[in-house]
Amino acid sequence: MPNINFKGGLKIENPYPSNEIDLIRIPLPEKVVLPMQQRIGNQAIPCVSIGEHVLTGQIIATIDDDRCAPVHASISGTVSAIGNHVYAHQSGLKGLCVTIESDGKDEWVDTSIGCTENYKACLPLTIYDKIRISGIVGMGGAGFPTHTKMRLAAGCKNIIINATECEPGITCDAALMEAYPTKVIRGVEVLLHITGSEKAIIAIEDDKQNSINELNKYCNNERIEIKVIPTKYTSGAEKILIKTLLGIEVPSGKFASDVGILCLNVATVVAMFDAVVENRPLISRAVTLAGSAIKEPKNLQVRLGATYDYLLSFVDLEEGSHKVTMAGLMMGVNLKGTDYSVSKNTNCIFIDKAQENVVAQECIRCGMCNTVCPVELLPQQLYWFSKSENIEKAMDYNLLDCIECGCCSYVCPSNIPLVNYYQFSKALYKKQTQEKTQIEKARERFEFREMRLERNKRERAELMEAKKIALKKKMAKDKAQKEKIDAALERVNASKIDNKEEDAS
Amino acid sequence: MINAISTLSVLALLFGLGLGYAAIRFKVKGNPLVDQIDAILPQTQCGQCDFPGCRPYAEAIANGEAEINQCPPGGQEGVDALADLLGVETLLLDEEHGETKPKRVAVVDEKVCIGCTLCIQACPVDAFVGSSKVMTQVIADECTGCDLCLPVCPVDCIDMIEIKPTIKTYVPTLKELVHA
Amino acid sequence: MPLWSELTLPKLIIRKKMQASFLNTKQIMRQVIYALVLGVGAQIYFFGFSVLIQILLGCITAVASEAIFLRLRGQTIKPSISDGSAVLTAILLAVSIPSIAPWWVIVLGVLFAIIFGKQIFGGLGNNPFNPAMLGYAFLLISYPLQMTQWPSEFLSITHASETIFGLSSIDGLTGATKLDYVKTQLMMGASIKEIGSISISQLWINIGFLIGGIYLLFRRVILWQIPISLLSGVVVMSSILFLMDSNHYASSIFHLLSGATMLAAFFIATDPVSASTTPLGRIIYGFLIGILIVIIRVYGGYPDAVAFAVLLLNITVPLIDFYTQPKVFGK
Repeated sequence: MPNINFKGGLKIENPYPSNEIDLIRIPLPEKVVLPMQQRIGNQAIPCVSIGEHVLTGQIIATIDDDRCAPVHASISGTVSAIGNHVYAHQSGLKGLCVTIESDGKDEWVDTSIGCTENYKACLPLTIYDKIRISGIVGMGGAGFPTHTKMRLAAGCKNIIINATECEPGITCDAALMEAYPTKVIRGVEVLLHITGSEKAIIAIEDDKQNSINELNKYCNNERIEIKVIPTKYTSGAEKILIKTLLGIEVPSGKFASDVGILCLNVATVVAMFDAVVENRPLISRAVTLAGSAIKEPKNLQVRLGATYDYLLSFVDLEEGSHKVTMAGLMMGVNLKGTDYSVSKNTNCIFIDKAQENVVAQECIRCGMCNTVCPVELLPQQLYWFSKSENIEKAMDYNLLDCIECGCCSYVCPSNIPLVNYYQFSKALYKKQTQEKTQIEKARERFEFREMRLERNKRERAELMEAKKIALKKKMAKDKAQKEKIDAALERVNASKIDNKEEDAS
Repeated sequence: MINAISTLSVLALLFGLGLGYAAIRFKVKGNPLVDQIDAILPQTQCGQCDFPGCRPYAEAIANGEAEINQCPPGGQEGVDALADLLGVETLLLDEEHGETKPKRVAVVDEKVCIGCTLCIQACPVDAFVGSSKVMTQVIADECTGCDLCLPVCPVDCIDMIEIKPTIKTYVPTLKELVHA
Repeated sequence: MPLWSELTLPKLIIRKKMQASFLNTKQIMRQVIYALVLGVGAQIYFFGFSVLIQILLGCITAVASEAIFLRLRGQTIKPSISDGSAVLTAILLAVSIPSIAPWWVIVLGVLFAIIFGKQIFGGLGNNPFNPAMLGYAFLLISYPLQMTQWPSEFLSITHASETIFGLSSIDGLTGATKLDYVKTQLMMGASIKEIGSISISQLWINIGFLIGGIYLLFRRVILWQIPISLLSGVVVMSSILFLMDSNHYASSIFHLLSGATMLAAFFIATDPVSASTTPLGRIIYGFLIGILIVIIRVYGGYPDAVAFAVLLLNITVPLIDFYTQPKVFGK
C-alpha cells in the first residue's frame, strides 16, 4: 500500500518566498551562447560556421549517436564565434560554445517535418524521431534525452508526471503550470497515446495550490489523475516518487523503465507538446531568479543561451559580493561570477549575499544523517569509508544509490560537507574501474602480442624444418635419380665398349 | 612443575601438528602474490623499472629483488597501493627511474611517416595500425603512453600528447570538493 | 593518497549552501550541560556544595589537559575546546564520584579520561570508549577507598573545601550509599523487607536527572532509543530476579531510582561517539547495558555497575553496528 509519507527527507521552508510566481516573458537577448556539451552524450559537433546566418529553430550542432538530441539556434542572427567558453559546471572548465548575435527579427526555420498536430495518426517511431530532432531533453535537471527514455519505456503501464518541484526556492515549474495548464494536460494526452498506457498521474506538492486549481480546471480526462502529496524535500526524486505513488521500489542499479514506469518532469512534457503538436523545438525555458541579494524572486521565460547577466538585468540586484548557485541550494553547484549562459537544464539561478565560510568539525557519530536519508542509506558509514578512500567498503554500503540530495549535509551538527565526500568517492570509483579495465586491456594486448611473436617464431621454425626435410627429400630423390642415370650411363658405356670389342675382333 | 612442563609440551606438539597439517592441506597453488602485484602495476610494459615488462618486475618484487618504488607510470599512488598490499612502509617514488607524467598518448605525424613499421614492432600492446610502406597511426584508446616507440622512429614523427580533462571526463579530487 | 593531516579539522572549510536550523555540536553539548542542572541541584540540596568544587576542578583539568594535548598533536586549540565536549566529560565524572573525594581524585580521573579516553584516539569523534566512564573505572579500581566514601550529610562550602583539600578529615561524615548498604546487608543474610526502601536523597537525585533527560528528549538532542531501552533492560532484569525471589533481590523501582541509573540512561549511555549508530543497534545496546547494570550490581563485586556495563557494551558496538544495518532502498 503506497505510503505518501516516505522515511527520511526534510521539511524545509522556502528560503525565498514570494506572493506572485507569474511567468514573465522577457525580450529577445542580443546574443546567445549555446553550449555544445549537453549533460548526456558526447559533445555535439557544430554544423554551421562563423559568419553564417541562422534562423530560430535551425539545428546548429548534431551528435552521431541517435540516442542523443541535437542543439538548435534559439534566435535568428549571425554566428559570431565558435570557441571555448566557461561552462556552468562544478569543474569550472571551458568547453565548446556557439555564439549567435541576434538580428532582432526572430525568423523561424520551417520545422514542420515529421509528424505534426495530427499525432494520433502517426506511428510511435515517427513521434520519437520528432521529439529527437526537436532537441527535447529532461528539463528537471538531469537532461536525459526524452525520446530515448520514452523508447526504453515503450509499452509502459504507468506514466508519472513529476510536478512536485520539491527543491526549496525553485518555482519555475509552478509558474509554467499556472501559465500553460492546457499544454500540460494535452501533453500528458500525447504521452498516453504514444505509450498506450492506461493512466497517468500528475504528482504535485500541496504548497502549489494555484497550480493544482488550474490543472483541475482544465483536466477532464478520466485517465489523468492529479495527485497531491505532502510538501517535503526529496518527494520529487524519481525512485522515491514512484514508491510514494505506486508502492513499487525500483531495484538498486535499475531504472524506472525497467519496472514499466515512465516518469517525466512537467516542463519536459510541455516542451514535448510544443515539439509534437506545435512544431517548436526546444529553444526556451522558464528560469527562477531568486536569492537574498534579489529583492523579489521572479520566474522568467528566456531563450536558451541567454547570459546570466542579461537575466539579472530584469531583477533588483543588491550591490556587494555575491554567492552564485545554479540548480538549487541543496543539489546545485556553486559558481564563480555570472559569466555563464542558460542551458537546457538551468532551472534556477540564486544570488545570495556572500557569507562567511563555515568550518567543519569532527563527526560525533550522532546518526542524524542516518535518520534523514530518503534512500535509507547509512551516510555516516559512507563518510568514514570515503574519508579513508576505502571504495570497496563504500560500494558494499550502496554508495552508488546515493542521490546526492544533500539532506545529510544539511542536518550534520558538525557541518561536515557529506555530499561532497560521496561525490568524491563516486568519481574515484569511476576512475578506478576505468583504470582497471584499461590495465586489463593493456595486459591482454601485451600477452597476445607475446603469444603472437612466439607463434611467429614457432611457425617460422616449423616452416624451416619442413623446408629442410623437403630439400633433403629432394636431394635424396635427386641422388637416386643420379644413381639411376649413372647406372644407365655405365650400362651404355659398358655396352659401347662391348660393341667396340666385337667390332675389333 | 612436571605438570606444567608436560602440559605445555603436549600443547606445543598439538599446535605444531595442527599448523603442519594446515600448511599442507590449505596450501595455495601458484604464486598469488605475483598476480596481486601485477594487478596493481599499470601494464604499460615500458621498462622504466629496469625490468623487461610489468610481470618480471612483479616477480622481482615478490622475490624481494626489487624495491616497490621503481614504476613511474604507476605514480605515487601505485607505490602506496603496493605498500598496502605487502604490508610495508610506503616509499617515495624513485625519481631515478623517471618522473610520473600525466596520461599521454602517442600520435603519428602523418605527413612525415615513411611506413618503416619499426614502431609497430616496438609497441608492447600492438596499438599501431599500419603496414610496410603504408602510413601508420596510433589507436588512441589502446596506447598506454609507455614512450617505447619514440626512440625507434627514424624520422622522429611521433609526438606524445597529454590528455586534458574535459567536462565529460572531469574527476574532482577530494581537496577540490571539500576544501571549497 | 592525501596525508591524514590534510583531512583533519579545522582546515575543512565549506561554503554552506543553506544554514541548517538544527543544533550544531557546540549547542548540543551546551543543552546537555543545562539538562544536568536539576540533578546536580538535588545533590547540592542533600549533600552541600562539594559537588560544585569537584565540577570546577574537573573542568579546569579537562580544558588544560586537552589544550596541552592538542598542542602536542599539532592541532589548533580553539575550535576543539570551544565545542564543550571536554567540559561535559569532566562534569559527568564529577557528578558520578563521591563529592567529598580528595581533590586529586577528580584531577587524576579527568586526566585519565581526557588523555587515555579521548586524545590518544584522535580527539572527539574517534574514541571507542565513553571517556567519563573510562575515568570512573580507572578511579574505582585504583582508589577503591576514596571512591566508596560517600557523604551522608549536608556540608557547608567551607567545610566541603577543607575536606576536599585535605585540611580536615572526613571521619564521621561518610557512609555507604543505599546500594552499597543493600548489597552488604543482603550478603549478610538480611531480607529486603528488613533493609527498608529507597533513600530519599538517591530518589530525588535520580528524579532530577530523569526530568533533565526528558527535556533533552523533547529538544531532540538525544534520541529515544537508548534511554528507553536501557531503562527497559533494567526493569526486565530486576523484575526477573525479583519474581524469582523477592526476599533477596531488590525491586525494579529500587534499581531504577538508585545509584546512577537515570544519569546513565539519559547522559552517559547516550554519548553518541561511543554508542551504536543504527536505530536497531541502539535499542540492543541500551537494553544490554540495562541488563548488565542489574547483573553486575547483584552478582558483581562493586556496588554500582554503570561504568563497567557501559564500557563492556562499548566494545561490542562495531559488532552490533555491523549486524543491524538497515535495508537499503531498492535492494
